[in-house]
Amino acid sequence: MKVPVSWLREYVDFDLPVEELARRLVFSSCEVDRIVRRGVPGGANYEHFVVGKVLEADKHPNADKLQLTRVDVGAGEPRSIVCGAWNFGAGATVAVVLPGGVMPGGEFTIERRQLRGEVSDGMILSEREVELGQDHRGIMVLPDELEAGTPLADVLPIGDDILEIETLYNRPDLTSIYGIAREVAALLGTDLNPLPGVEPPPAGDERVEVAIEDLHACPRYIGRLFRDVRIGESPAWMKARLLGAGMRPISNVVDVTNYVMLALGSPLHAFDYDTLAGGCIVVRRARPGETLETLDGTTRVLDPEDLVIADAERPVAVAGVMGGAATEVAETTRNVLLEAANFEQLTVLRSGERHHMRTESQTRWEKGVHPELAEWAARYASQLLVELAGARWTGEGEARGELPRAPLITYAPAYADAVLGLAVQVDEQRDRLTRLGFAVDGDWNVQTPSWRWHDVRRDIDVVEEVGRFHLVDVPATLPERTEMFGVLTRRQQLRRTVEDVLVGAGLYEAYTYSLQAWDPDPDAIELPEPLSSQQRVLRTTLAVGLLGAATHNIDRGNSNIELFEIAHVYLPPGPVPREPWRVGGIVEGDFFKAKGIVEAIFEAVHVEPTFERVELRDEFVVGATVQTGWVGTYGPLDLEGEWSAFELDLDELTELVPERVLYRDVITYPPLRLDLAFVVDESVPAGDLMAAARAAAGEELRDVRFLSDYRGEPIPRGRKSLAIAVAFQSPERTLTDDDAARLREAIVAALGQRFGAELRA
Amino acid sequence: MDSLAAVNWPAYETEAVEAIAAALSEQELADARVKYLGRKSELAQALRGVRDRESGMLLNGIRSKLEDAVAARDTHLRRLAFRLAAEAAVDVTIPGTPVRRGRLHLLTQIRREIEDVFLGLGYEVYEGAEVSTVWENFDALNADPAHPSRSKTDTFYIDDDTVLRTQTSPDQIRAMQEKTPPIYLVSPGRCYRRDTPDATHSPTFMQVECLAVDRGITLADLQGTVLKFFRTLFGAEREVRMRTSNFPFTEPSVEFDVTCFICGGRGCSVCKHSGWIEMGGAGWVDPNVFRNVGIDPAEWQGFAFGFGIERIAMLRHGLPDLRAFWENDLRVLGQFA
Repeated sequence: MKVPVSWLREYVDFDLPVEELARRLVFSSCEVDRIVRRGVPGGANYEHFVVGKVLEADKHPNADKLQLTRVDVGAGEPRSIVCGAWNFGAGATVAVVLPGGVMPGGEFTIERRQLRGEVSDGMILSEREVELGQDHRGIMVLPDELEAGTPLADVLPIGDDILEIETLYNRPDLTSIYGIAREVAALLGTDLNPLPGVEPPPAGDERVEVAIEDLHACPRYIGRLFRDVRIGESPAWMKARLLGAGMRPISNVVDVTNYVMLALGSPLHAFDYDTLAGGCIVVRRARPGETLETLDGTTRVLDPEDLVIADAERPVAVAGVMGGAATEVAETTRNVLLEAANFEQLTVLRSGERHHMRTESQTRWEKGVHPELAEWAARYASQLLVELAGARWTGEGEARGELPRAPLITYAPAYADAVLGLAVQVDEQRDRLTRLGFAVDGDWNVQTPSWRWHDVRRDIDVVEEVGRFHLVDVPATLPERTEMFGVLTRRQQLRRTVEDVLVGAGLYEAYTYSLQAWDPDPDAIELPEPLSSQQRVLRTTLAVGLLGAATHNIDRGNSNIELFEIAHVYLPPGPVPREPWRVGGIVEGDFFKAKGIVEAIFEAVHVEPTFERVELRDEFVVGATVQTGWVGTYGPLDLEGEWSAFELDLDELTELVPERVLYRDVITYPPLRLDLAFVVDESVPAGDLMAAARAAAGEELRDVRFLSDYRGEPIPRGRKSLAIAVAFQSPERTLTDDDAARLREAIVAALGQRFGAELRA
Repeated sequence: MDSLAAVNWPAYETEAVEAIAAALSEQELADARVKYLGRKSELAQALRGVRDRESGMLLNGIRSKLEDAVAARDTHLRRLAFRLAAEAAVDVTIPGTPVRRGRLHLLTQIRREIEDVFLGLGYEVYEGAEVSTVWENFDALNADPAHPSRSKTDTFYIDDDTVLRTQTSPDQIRAMQEKTPPIYLVSPGRCYRRDTPDATHSPTFMQVECLAVDRGITLADLQGTVLKFFRTLFGAEREVRMRTSNFPFTEPSVEFDVTCFICGGRGCSVCKHSGWIEMGGAGWVDPNVFRNVGIDPAEWQGFAFGFGIERIAMLRHGLPDLRAFWENDLRVLGQFA
């Protein structure tokens, strides 16, 4: 919302600087994005802008397109001024800027200069040059009763400060200048002027037919008929305010509807009455197949959910959003039907969404405007139509349901203290609430005003009304805790452990998107309306994102890429998937590089990993499962080199982690080491052989380590030699040569029986 | 004692120690050793003639001292030789052998810092789910049916009842359904909004939610907690302030700002010359939210606040573009920690 400060001052008087007002509003009321200067820079600069009387006006002797004038500017000799406009002559009253005057924007200063051999001692102004309008076809011709030398700022709003504020969802009242004035009055403790708008005397009692088919969507509709309207331009003050508020002046009638909306916060619309079939208004849902060309020139196919304003035959406006082109007020319009209505927020919101429209009226309805405001708006707009467009108010029709009553709240001032942690004086609470428009009786029954009916419904809402003016005074304390204890859960500790292990192993942590272009699981949950094809499905694995991150790095010329990520995956079925934590990694290198990293994780959490060969997805040429996950090597990729990856489920891994690690005595008695090599079929996995050796050796075995996998002479074809190193140790005694022979024999026998393994000499 | 009389032993010892210390090469040291400790030395000869205990102790004492002196001089001379050789061969300004060191992502580093501050304040770390029901993400959080955040142009819907959470606040709902008060928790995680990616917006982003539910919680407790948190993260001189705001699930609602840690509050480009930096939203938990999860608002009160992790990272480390967090360029990731 753009707030011209001169407009604000019409409703509330304040003497603090605008910057200071903005600084204080920010705490209690609304964000102020910035303060913008509009029109002519103020202060002493205004002295250069005066009313002038044109004494003489003739063609410039050396230029066909210019006039040479002599202008009385009050003080001193008349000035010679060269002017390019021809819409005036001698005797005209005009606006003049004298040399030294700084023009809007602050960068251009008027100087006395020669124009084609004649002195020009100032400039006669058009409205566009001082940002009072868009007309630049001619200069401004002012009323003749103004005297030469009158400061221009006294008769025209040639400069203003604009507060640009952001309105919160719960404050529809702050989408109006009057509402902001009320807020300023409450903030500063100053007086608020009465609501603008005096009902003009009626000039007839024509009946206007108004019918509402859905009183929920449209609780109230006031239609007022104005005859003999003279369509024309709005006065300079109104155009300046509309422009300052960010709206384009169009014509006096349309401008009045916009002006009153900005002033009071209840949007209005004006129809050309003679274009309404049957001269009547029906508020109803659109019928299947109905279309409407809206004011922006777009023909819209209406949805049966759209609420429309219709005449006897067809829709003439999308209710609360935009009017139709066919019934628009134009230069030829003689009679006007003014709509002062009320529309329910969700109805307007949905229509706006469906038709991708965003209008000033829509943003107000969406916040929830009270139907009482329709009355105020009708009154003020009627006054202005009569005053500014010479209209005669000849008739009215109104339809309404039972209007919602604003809440009556039982309040206790002490509640504010309990919530804020700060004592706010009872008198001050009463004063503040009253200034905001609440009625407070002796027993602290608080009546919410209509313009706050949505937001202030309960005692806690009243606390906010009091508290928001004291946010800077609230002290900083900590809760007086009755009971609390903060510690990471086992799973959270595990997550940190895994992070640390992987960082220690040299991997960089990546963050990749949960939404991906594709996922290997055909059942992965897809978004019905994704933002882009690159982010359309919720991933079931981290592998796709990590491969993307690796590719991105290669493309950027980085090398030695080893990445990991810890994040949720989203396992179907939907719509609410299971979301376990996963750790995934990708490294440039072979299967064993990735497997070594997985083994490091398992070692860190004291779980013995077991790997089994499997076929992973098609992209992988080597694959193995391990508890809670997998390791694999990609087949040829777009990327150069060999790439391997892994993924583990951290939730499942947490379940496997032992509660605590028990001490084993590895110091008191020395270990006994043996290297053993077995010849087996090529198909026997080394892991199986080692597991069997471990099982056969029993409790005294401390360690089995893989040494080598050898194929070739003198081992026969189809067989291979697997060498392992075993270490035995007892916490109770020194193992003897006899022990060694016994344990070795047990391993040899078990492996011979299970795999046909032969011990090599 | 006669055998000792021929020699002034203290003088012998002094002379020998000086000779050993004066040796400048291994050869000179060997010569000194032979002269004062060797088989033909006066000391060795005298020792051979010793008959009494007293003389033996004296002479053995001298021998032991001289042997130690020889050993010490020997170590010194050999070390000296190495040092002289190394001085020429080793350039200590050449970089050391590289060690491969991984990195935690900057957002994880900050997540841990945040968690640790709150663990220290006695909070638990809570983990919510990213796919939420409309009830958890909006209804239970007291968002009215027309609230703009529900719009399909702002929120990713999976179906009419299911969304990708738009904030970490649904974690409040889940946690309060699972736990009984008092509850103190902090919950970091991914959130999603239909924002077109640019330097300060991403459809995926990281937020942290903080919730305290106890008896007698006030807005002042919120301010104090926020102050502690930001002083830990941004320095002990920081101040915070609250401004009015509006969120469905808090009443009163506030935004909180922290004094700029770049300029200390004097005004700079980071704080847009205001001296303050917007950090997030907060407020006193709306009684309706408590009712929605079956907690009696007459007995229990609470505060909640939330803020973006990326924003903290960008402000603190001067990153201009939030997309860098999701691109994972090693040259970027490698700059932190």
